[in-house]
Amino acid sequence: MMKKTIKPILWLALLVILIFFPKLFGVYYTNVFVTFAIFATYAVAVNVLLGYTGLLSFGHAMFFGAGGYGTALALKHIDGLALMPAIGIGFLAAMLLALVLAPLVTRVSGTAFAMIHLAFGQLFYILALKLRHITGGEDGIGNFPIPAFTIPGLISIPLKGDPVNFYYLAIVIMGLSLWLMWFFTKTPFGQIQVGIRDNEKRIDYLGYKIPQTKAIIYVVSGAFSGLAGCIYGLFHNLVSADGSLGAMISFSPIIAAMVGGVGSFFGPIWGTAVFQVIEELTHRFTDRVELVMGVILILVVMFAPSGITGAVNTMKMKWHAYTASKAKMEKTS
Amino acid sequence: MNILETKDLHHDFSGLKVLFGINLQIEEGERHAVIGPNGAGKTTLFNTITGTYHPSKGKVFFKGKDITGYKPHKLARIGMGRSFQITSTFTRLTAFQNIRLAILAKHGIRFNLFRHVDKMKDITRETEKMLERVNLINERNVPAGLLSYGKSRALEISMAMATDPELILLDEFAAGMSRDETHNAVALIRKMTEGKTVVIIEHDMDVVFSLADRITVLHYGKILATGKPDDIRDNQDVKDAYLGDLQV
Repeated sequence: MMKKTIKPILWLALLVILIFFPKLFGVYYTNVFVTFAIFATYAVAVNVLLGYTGLLSFGHAMFFGAGGYGTALALKHIDGLALMPAIGIGFLAAMLLALVLAPLVTRVSGTAFAMIHLAFGQLFYILALKLRHITGGEDGIGNFPIPAFTIPGLISIPLKGDPVNFYYLAIVIMGLSLWLMWFFTKTPFGQIQVGIRDNEKRIDYLGYKIPQTKAIIYVVSGAFSGLAGCIYGLFHNLVSADGSLGAMISFSPIIAAMVGGVGSFFGPIWGTAVFQVIEELTHRFTDRVELVMGVILILVVMFAPSGITGAVNTMKMKWHAYTASKAKMEKTS
Repeated sequence: MNILETKDLHHDFSGLKVLFGINLQIEEGERHAVIGPNGAGKTTLFNTITGTYHPSKGKVFFKGKDITGYKPHKLARIGMGRSFQITSTFTRLTAFQNIRLAILAKHGIRFNLFRHVDKMKDITRETEKMLERVNLINERNVPAGLLSYGKSRALEISMAMATDPELILLDEFAAGMSRDETHNAVALIRKMTEGKTVVIIEHDMDVVFSLADRITVLHYGKILATGKPDDIRDNQDVKDAYLGDLQV
């Protein structure tokens, strides 16, 4: 019963902190938080496939990049394009890419699924490097116009060069995405999804079509990855092959999900938070951030294979068992 | 009327012939047992009927309709359900969630992305009713992977029946069960399959002779005999091949 009253208070507290974050922590940490929000959403989108459906993709950067390049190209070439349609174009670009690939990739699983994605991910990376006249090659597309957020006749909020305003935009979009994905896992469809992870054959014998089901999950995961990539591109006002399509962009959400715990929805968010903090701290001493992250990943895999959330749950269970046995002892004595 | 019929059904695994021209007739409403020695092709027969394998020759008819080569999900939708010899549940989901997936399938709720599944009261009620009927209500929130063997077998069987199929194929439902568990499972199947057609594969002759209305004996991929339990018991060919001469 306690929990029911505490939960809304916690959410409210979180909301208040989010609203006053720029005032409390200054511009630098506001930007750090935007990066965190983007990668947390991205990691959750990857985890919709990895943790909930049991499909490991080594090439999700192509969706992240598709979102970024989609929006950047649209803003560069279409004069007077408003902000929301531009973001929508990025979202749809990633969604379209997922739709095109879905018929192929939903027929495989396990290692084949991971490897196909590695191949496609690298293909798009190379394409972005080679098609210089479209993508700008290694330099990427930079300094494209970022329109103000407008509701016609009501307000117009400038975003370019205004990190605080951009913070609010990013937080609202990422928050909404997270909520939508959370709801997605709670629908009947989300149940079928975890069913596929646990036992594909049984799902088939219950009368669900497996490739079609996987395809929908795949498109959802790809589209939200694209949305994260699109906000990332707007945030830096730059999309580049290394920044949006590189192999690390594919691997970092997987690592974050594994450290945080693939079995839970919020795990990847915790994982991303841990990595953000570590990155901030390591950068003060060295540029070898990956070295520290790698060591942490190894430690987590060795000592807490179900990630942070898994470890916390185990501790909780042990604590309950301990208190229960203690109560029993007191009763008998 | 025959609800299920196979005509000259053959199956071979790239050269290894397992089924040779099976002509099986299952009447509507009966409980039919398929028995036979190990390697006789019983499970292969089930798998070719339920769409795991495509038969190499011959046809399968369900309710008079040719269903040869139908995929499992399509068969499930037209009213065929099955259980597996090796327990095949969703190990990380609770007993409740396992049954709920079957109930959702029964109602054709597949691509619903707009409702919170925990808030679908009708589904929850129906699932709990089912759990009560199969005596799993106390294990409602236990992950299927942590259930005792007997309980997980019961879950396996009830998932096959929760979609409310007209024809249920149960593959060795009592395999590995203790005497008590077997006894409970037989009672459960009697209760749950009232008015339905059931085909079982079983090695436990007590179960077979107490449950089945008719029996088919399979031997090296061929039907040796089909008939009422008493006829099968007295059949000399069946005695030689499988049952032996010891009087039951």
